[in-house]
Amino acid sequence: MARSLQEIPLSGHAHSRSGHSDALIVILGALAIVIGSSALGIAVNHLSPRGIPLLPTPAAGPIRQEPAPALSLPKGLEPITILDARAAIDKHLALFLDARPADQYAEGHIPGALSLPSDKLDDTFPNLADRIEASPFLIVYCDGAECSESIHVAERLIEYGFLGTRLMVDGYRAWADAGNPVTKGSEP
Amino acid sequence: MRARATAILGHPALGAICRLIIGGIFVYTAIPKLLRPDDFARLVAGYRLLDPGIVNLAGITMPWIELIVGAFLVTGVLPRSSSLVGAGMLAIFMVAGALALLRGLHISCGCFFPLMGGHTLGWDLLIRDGILLLLTLQILAWPSSFVPCLRRKPPV
Repeated sequence: MARSLQEIPLSGHAHSRSGHSDALIVILGALAIVIGSSALGIAVNHLSPRGIPLLPTPAAGPIRQEPAPALSLPKGLEPITILDARAAIDKHLALFLDARPADQYAEGHIPGALSLPSDKLDDTFPNLADRIEASPFLIVYCDGAECSESIHVAERLIEYGFLGTRLMVDGYRAWADAGNPVTKGSEP
Repeated sequence: MRARATAILGHPALGAICRLIIGGIFVYTAIPKLLRPDDFARLVAGYRLLDPGIVNLAGITMPWIELIVGAFLVTGVLPRSSSLVGAGMLAIFMVAGALALLRGLHISCGCFFPLMGGHTLGWDLLIRDGILLLLTLQILAWPSSFVPCLRRKPPV
């Protein structure tokens, strides 16, 4: 039967020594778990084809705070800058797809963008298929460069055959910060 | 009264339930992160707490710590050490989440990675982490195990 340290009927120095050595063993065990697991993770990452650089370099790191042209994207998915996206929309060449959750979409989105949340893609896509198919280019975005909802949606769209899908890497935040128009509500 | 409360809180069945809940959640949430380390590192970067130079390292190692801790908790291997690490991770998640919310960030929490995007970081998630943290403290105080040779022996 499991018993707590407090239940063990030791007294005085013996109790204190036992408690200290028990605590030390627990802490050492915790350190061993952290170090062992981390080493295992680094080794597997090194051998895995999906592995990422341990310490990202400015040119090769897939993860960075600010977007850059060298950002690692899935094969077949091309990035588009905010300026180019704005130009494409102004010429009615593209349709924006917002991959964020519906509540974030309602709080603010790019005018005309359709809500296509990454976690509800299968449910939402059939209702929007006609409008999506009518557009020659699709521009998918999420909150910023560090989010990945837009990548998942864009990957699925490419799988569906929408080869004109582009990823606006900088996302909604950078779009709004640049003074571009935004709107609120659950409608485009 | 105190003895009765101790008997209830320290009951091996309660310990086993706590271990299965926490361990199961840790394993369930770790696996997708292991499969997509790039995505998970992006989520970590989204909190904007770590230096970009160590974001990848965190993205690579954290899911493995989560997986091993989860597996140890489910089976009862090193239950107190595992729960200590688990409690530390949950505390880190809570502090990082609270700081992100206080800074007004709208980001995916990354906690239930399979449902990415569906779990926007919010105070409700921090409360849930707090409840899980309490469960780890139960394991820390009254360790139990499914492995017979790892069970604590009663004092002679």
